[in-house]
Amino acid sequence: MKAFFAICTLGLTLGSALLYWSLPGKQTEVPVIWWITQDDHYKQEIVTVFREWLRDQGLPDVDLRIDNTNQDATKKLVQGVSGVGADLMDLYGFQIDLFPATGMMLDVTEEARQLGFSPEHTYPALRDEIVQNGRQYSFPRNTGSALFWVNRGTFRRLGVPFPPYRWSTDEFEELGKKFVAAANPPGTRQRAYFVNGVSRDVMRRGLGLSTFNETGTFCTLGDERNVAVLARVRKWVVEDRLMPTREEDAAMAADISGAGSMFSHFDSGRFGMIYTGHWAFIMIRPRGTFELAAAEGPQDGFPNTEMGGGAVGVYAGSKHREHAVRFLQYLGSEHFNRLIVRQADSLPPVPHYATTDEFLRPAGKENEWPVHQAFARATAETGITLSKSPFVLQSVVYRLEMEIYESMLAGRLTPAEAAALMADRINAEIQLTVRRDPALRALYEERLEVQRRIEEKRARGERVPEAWISEAFHRAYYRAQGWLEEEKP
Amino acid sequence: MSNRRSDLRRTLTGLGFLLPNILGFLAFTLVPLAMSFFIAFTDWDILRHNIFREEPLRFVGFENFTWLFTHPEFWHYLGNTFFLMLGLPFAIAGSLGAALLLTRVSRRPAALRGAMVLATLVLIGSLWVLRAGGMAEAGVWFVFGLLGATMLVGGVLTGGTIYRTLFYLPHFTAGVATFVLWKKLYNPQTGPINFALAPVLDAVAAVVQAMPRVFSVGVPLLSGVLAVLLATWQARRLRRHWDDAAAGPGAVGLGAALLVLPAGFLLHWLGLRGWLATLAAAVLAAGFTLATVRRPRPWGPVCARDAGVSAEIALGLGLVPLLLVLAAAVAHGAGLPAAVADGIEPPNWLGDYAWAKPAIMLMALWAAIGSNNMILYLAGLSNIPPELYEAADMDGASPMQRFWHITWPQLAPVTFFIFVMGVIHGLQGGFEMARIMTLGGPAGSTTTLSYFIYIEGFETGRLGYASAAAWVLFALVFVLSLLNFRFGNRNAND
Repeated sequence: MKAFFAICTLGLTLGSALLYWSLPGKQTEVPVIWWITQDDHYKQEIVTVFREWLRDQGLPDVDLRIDNTNQDATKKLVQGVSGVGADLMDLYGFQIDLFPATGMMLDVTEEARQLGFSPEHTYPALRDEIVQNGRQYSFPRNTGSALFWVNRGTFRRLGVPFPPYRWSTDEFEELGKKFVAAANPPGTRQRAYFVNGVSRDVMRRGLGLSTFNETGTFCTLGDERNVAVLARVRKWVVEDRLMPTREEDAAMAADISGAGSMFSHFDSGRFGMIYTGHWAFIMIRPRGTFELAAAEGPQDGFPNTEMGGGAVGVYAGSKHREHAVRFLQYLGSEHFNRLIVRQADSLPPVPHYATTDEFLRPAGKENEWPVHQAFARATAETGITLSKSPFVLQSVVYRLEMEIYESMLAGRLTPAEAAALMADRINAEIQLTVRRDPALRALYEERLEVQRRIEEKRARGERVPEAWISEAFHRAYYRAQGWLEEEKP
Repeated sequence: MSNRRSDLRRTLTGLGFLLPNILGFLAFTLVPLAMSFFIAFTDWDILRHNIFREEPLRFVGFENFTWLFTHPEFWHYLGNTFFLMLGLPFAIAGSLGAALLLTRVSRRPAALRGAMVLATLVLIGSLWVLRAGGMAEAGVWFVFGLLGATMLVGGVLTGGTIYRTLFYLPHFTAGVATFVLWKKLYNPQTGPINFALAPVLDAVAAVVQAMPRVFSVGVPLLSGVLAVLLATWQARRLRRHWDDAAAGPGAVGLGAALLVLPAGFLLHWLGLRGWLATLAAAVLAAGFTLATVRRPRPWGPVCARDAGVSAEIALGLGLVPLLLVLAAAVAHGAGLPAAVADGIEPPNWLGDYAWAKPAIMLMALWAAIGSNNMILYLAGLSNIPPELYEAADMDGASPMQRFWHITWPQLAPVTFFIFVMGVIHGLQGGFEMARIMTLGGPAGSTTTLSYFIYIEGFETGRLGYASAAAWVLFALVFVLSLLNFRFGNRNAND
C-alpha cells in the first residue's frame, strides 16, 4: 500500500512537471500573450493580421493566443483581482467601468499618447467609455450605435409599409400593430413579432431624461417621463404584443447568455426587425442575401442612439505589458481598421475608415449599403454612450431596472410605482457606496456641490460649463439645446 | 520501547496517508469557512480590496446583516427559495412511488407482463388515433410514443433493470444539459409541452364554451362540496387522533391552522378584506382547537404535547395546496366560461411570473423522482422483513393497509433522512437552474438565495455582504435541521 501511495505521488509529481513544461510559453522563444475573446475565424484573422502588422512595423514577434474559455464577466473579474488575469481582455458594457475601478486594468494613457491610440483617434462619444477619471484604460475594438435592422423582404411579403429611418413612438406603434396583424392570421397563436425589443433608454433620452442627473449623484428614473415610457413599453409588450418579453425571447434560445435566436427569427420572418449593432453582419451574411435597411429606435423629441460596443484593455498584472500594449496600438492602425471594414464586425474604431467607400458601399453587397450608411450616420451624429454614475455599478443598475420593469410587465407594479421604485432602489445603492467608500464620498460631496450650481444656473436660464457635466447624455442634450458653455480649444 | 517506536511509526504513516485530505480540507473548506465568517463583518468589496487596490478592510459590525434584512430583495429571494421547496413532499412521494413500482416489477414480472404488453398496444393505438385525427402533425407524439413503448416493452423483456436505469438517468445526466433540454421543452411556441397541451386546452375551452352553465355553477359547487368534505375529514381526523392519544395539543392546533390559509383566501376572494378574512378563519381554527383539547379522552390515555406534529406537517403540505385550488375554484369558477371565451393559451412556462416557479418545480420533481432518493427507498424496501407482509396477508390486509401499516412506518428512517437532506439542498439550491434557464427572472421570480449570494459576491463584488447572506443561509439550514430533528425523527427512531 505504501509503495502504491509512493508511486501515485511520484506519478502526480511527474505529470505536473510535464504539464508545466508543455505550457505554450515553455514551447517557444516568442513571448506568448493571451487575449480573452471569442474564438472564431474573425478573431483568428485579427491575430494573423496583428503578427503581419508587427512584422511591417519592425517590432518583435509575439505569439498572441485566444482564450475563449474565460469570457464570462465574473470569471474575468475574479481571475483579474486574484492576479491571474489574461494579458488582454475584451471589455463590454459595464466591464469597461468596473474593471478599471478595481485597479486590474493597466493605465495606458502615456503609451496611448506616444503610440497613437489616444481618445482623439476614435469617436468623441467613446471618450467616456475608455477614459475614467482622466486616465485611459482601453481602446475600442468594435463599436457603433445600435439600430433596428429591417428585413424588408418580410415587410414586402406581408404588404406592410417599410419603417422610416426616424420615427415617433406613435408611428412605431401604428406600424407595429399592422405588422403583427398581418404576420399572425386571425384565430392562430402569435408566432411573429414586430421587433425583438426596444431600448427604454433611447425613449427616455428622446424625452430629455437620463438614468442619472448631470453629475451622476442621483437616479432620475422616478420622473414622470419614465412613467410615460414604461407605460408605453408595457402596452407594446402586454397588450399589442409587438415584441416578446425578455424571457420569451430567451426561451427560444438554447443559451440564455448568447445572442439568442434573433438571427434565425429575423431570417424566417418571425421578427420583422431586430435591435442590435453593426456587428450583426457577421451573423447575417452567412444566412444569405437579404433586402436590408436600418431604423432608429422610436423616440419623441431628442434624436439619439445607444452607442457602445467592445474595447480591449491590458491586464495590470500582465508579464508582457509592452507586447500587450502593442495590440492596442494595432487597433488604431490601418491594418486593423481595414480588416474590420472587410469583416463588417462593427464599425472600425477610427472614424475615418467608416467614411470610405470600402465601408459604405462594399462591392458586390449592394443590399447592405443602406445599413452601412445608416450605422455610420447614427454613430457619428446621434450616438451617446451608456448613462452611468461612478457611485453605482452599471451591472447593479441594469439588474434592478430590469427586475422592476419585469415586475411591471407581470402586473405587480403600475408604471408609476415601477418608476418610483427604480429610483429608490438605485439611489439606495448610491448611498451605500458613498457611505462605504471614503474616496467616492469625497467625490460625491464635490459633485453634489457642482449639481447645486448647475441647477442654479439652469434656473436662471444661464449656460452651464461643459466640464461640470459628467454624464454623457446630459452633455449631448445640453449641447443640442444650446445650454452648454463649450470649452474653448 | 520497540512497541512504542512501532506505534509512533504507524501513527506517522497513518497521518501521512491522511495528510493530503487534511490539507485539502483545511485549505479549501475550513479556512475559507472561517474567512467568510470574518468577511461577513467587514466591508470587503472586490473593487477596493484586491491585489491592485489594497485599501484597509473596515470592520462594519452587523451592518451587512442589517442591510440584508432591510433589503426587500432578500425577502423576495428567501420567499422564492421556500416556495421552490414546496415541491419537496411531491419529490419524496415521487421517489417512493418509483421505488415501489420498481420493486413490484422485479418481484412480480410475470403478473405485469400482460399489462405491459396491453399498455404498449393501447399507447401506440392512441397515438395512431391522435395522428389520424390531425392533432399531431409534427410527430412529437411519435417521439413520446416511442419512448413510452420502449420503456414498457423493455420492462417486459428485462424485468426491472431497464426501469431502474431509465428512472436513474436524470441523475447521471449533467445538470446543464438537462436544464437546456427543459428550456427547449418549455419553449412557449415551439416546445413539445405546449405543442401537446395546445389541442387539449382548445378542446377544454370548446367544452366549457359549449356548456357554460355546467362550469359556471357546477365547478364552484362541486369544489365547494369537496372542500367542505376535506375540511370535515380533517376535523374528524383530528378529533379521532386526539381521542386515541395519537395527537397532542400541538398537532391539533397545527392541523386546525392548516385550514386557516385556504379559508382566509376563500373569504378574501369572495370580497372580505384579507386580514379580516384571515382573522375570522384563525378564530374559527382556534375555537375548534380549544374545543378539541378540552374534550376528555374516552380512556384517559396521555401523550406528549407535540405528538403527531410531524404527521400534520406532512399532511399539510398536500392538503393545503389542494384546498387552495378548491377555494380558488369556488371563488373564481363562475367566471370560467368568460375567461376561456377566447380559448386557453398554453402557459408561457419560463417567461410568465406566475408560471416560472412552478415550471422549475416540475423540472426538479422530474429530476428528484429518479435521484438518489429512489435508490435509498429501494434499499429501504429491500430491508423490510418479508414476514411482516406474510403476517399481513394472513390477516387479510388490503394492499393499501399493507402500505400504511408496514411499508410506510418501516421506511420512516429513510424518509426522515431524505426530508432533512431535501430541506438542506432545497435551501442551498436553485443556482444552476437560475443561471442557465432564467437568469433569475422574470422579475426575480426564480432568483434563490444561493443565486443572490453569487450575484452579490461575484457580479457586484460585495464579498462582505455576500458572506453575510451566506451565513444567514447557514443559520436557516441549521435551524430548520434542528426543527426537523426535534419534531421529525420520532417515527424514525421508533
